Amino acid sequence: MNNLLPLMQREWLQHRFAWALLVLVPLALAVLPLTFGQVEFDSDVTSRAGPDLALMVALIAMIITTAVMFLILWISSIFIAVGTPRRDHGDRSIEFWMSLPTGHTESLVTPLLVHLLLVPAAALVVGLISSVAVSLLLVTRFESLSGWFALPWGQLLAAGLAVVARVMAGLPMATLWLLPVLLLAMLSNALFKRWGLPVVAVALGVGGSVLAQVFGQPWLLQALGRVFSEAAVALVGASGKGLKIDANEDPMAVLQALPAWAAADWLAAVRQLASPAFLLVLLLSAVLLAGLVLWRQRGAGHSA
Amino acid sequence: MKPETTDSALVEARNLSVSYGAKRAVDDVSFTIPKGRVVGLLGHNGAGKTTLMKAMVGLAQPQGELTVLGLNPLKQRVQLLQSACYIPDVAILPRWARVSDLITLMSGLHPKFSADRARALLKRTSVKLSDKVKSLSKGMVAQAHLALVAAIDAQLMILDEPTLGLDVLSRKAFYEMLIDEWCDGQRSVLISTHQVEEIESLLSDVLMLNEGKLVLSISLEDMDRRFVALSHDASVAEQMAAAHPLLKYRVQGAGSMNQASLFDGEPPPHVQALGKRMRPSLVDLFVALTRKPELDRTHF
Repeated sequence: MNNLLPLMQREWLQHRFAWALLVLVPLALAVLPLTFGQVEFDSDVTSRAGPDLALMVALIAMIITTAVMFLILWISSIFIAVGTPRRDHGDRSIEFWMSLPTGHTESLVTPLLVHLLLVPAAALVVGLISSVAVSLLLVTRFESLSGWFALPWGQLLAAGLAVVARVMAGLPMATLWLLPVLLLAMLSNALFKRWGLPVVAVALGVGGSVLAQVFGQPWLLQALGRVFSEAAVALVGASGKGLKIDANEDPMAVLQALPAWAAADWLAAVRQLASPAFLLVLLLSAVLLAGLVLWRQRGAGHSA
Repeated sequence: MKPETTDSALVEARNLSVSYGAKRAVDDVSFTIPKGRVVGLLGHNGAGKTTLMKAMVGLAQPQGELTVLGLNPLKQRVQLLQSACYIPDVAILPRWARVSDLITLMSGLHPKFSADRARALLKRTSVKLSDKVKSLSKGMVAQAHLALVAAIDAQLMILDEPTLGLDVLSRKAFYEMLIDEWCDGQRSVLISTHQVEEIESLLSDVLMLNEGKLVLSISLEDMDRRFVALSHDASVAEQMAAAHPLLKYRVQGAGSMNQASLFDGEPPPHVQALGKRMRPSLVDLFVALTRKPELDRTHF
């Protein structure tokens, strides 16, 4: 795929300002109240946290900021990806793109790589970096700047990087689990235009409910549930042990254990790929992708 | 156009048809396009010009035989488009992009695209590199698109109404660039347009489509030899009509000889004696071969 980089560059040129807004606006919404507002904790929290309050606050700020940044960009990227078959029809530029020497498969797959893998991965990194700034503002509001500097940044960043690396390494697996649903939505969008997503929602949601309730055939809803749950644990929690911090646990001990937990969790997610369900997911995805390629070969729904 | 040997033909079509469902958009056409030719593809709206061009670049599924640059357009589309450039319409550049973005992308996506040449061609237009496509007028979008395509070192250029929306100066500048800088005797151009009079002097060959069928495939040299136009006085109109011309029409600025009749082949000597021989125009030949017979253009 020697057009991979230029096609990826197209996504960057087309979406860079939207991505910047999706990062900066939530960050500004988080930072502005912290800059001008007050941060207070009730006595119950301060007594339970004790001397580790600043550490706990920094840790929670890092987790929430990174998670929110990731979720905003991941969810918006999914919507962008699902809309890619028809996105160039509004301004008829689909004819321009089809006049260039790019294959149908690479034209369809490259946006998926960018929006389903690269952008969420970048969101994790940007989220982690932003979370350091958010934690700075938060800790200095109720404690002091020196208190922020006194935090164990070596262990905090190592733990943060471990969790980010775990989620990043789980993204390809989660994407593969979700791929049949995403490709079905894309194909539906290609064939039914703006009715594409409603058609999929009705077919899967309402159709699955009717099959289960009326005909006693719950397999569609069960399959959907399985796909979504496997995608979720592919990102985090495949080992059965979620990312929880017990109130009685020593925060430093938790931080130090996170890298080992992340590695074990990822391995558990990889092991779950060795299942007939995953093979079926891959097969369905291949069939749906072939359908999309065929649709594009026949003119991408654009007649003479 | 007479069939050329396979070695010199850039495009060969035999019994080519393209259907959209029950509708046959291109119906059993056969032609070749040799190297170094500027071929006009003429036809009314819906005649099948765009469909034929799409089939040539692998964007429509044909029946019959079609090779372009020795390649199967459907199966070898990517390889073909590396050596052929195609403008399906000039108002189709992505509106979100800047002109400089398009140069960057085409540099990466097209192995024979020259960014320097594109910039040089754009300097002759009113389009700036920093302009966003959505801020350009339709004519400026056309200028930008033509500059981008002309910067591709292709063997075959397929242009579907490339000058739509351009003012007369821009059209002339494009035609001059095409003939002076792009056509070098080895490259060929297939161009469809409704501005037949403007382009006639540039063409070496013409293909005429009517309702999907190829009604004429001829070089302009052979056209001059085969078709005869006679300007004549209105008083001999009936005698001319009796010789069954392809078309009867008015001629402007011809004094008393203000009517003309167009014949396929030499008319009988007694008919030739009634008028004065003149060169048939491509427009009149196009009308003669593609009009509905029940319409008589000499009566308004």
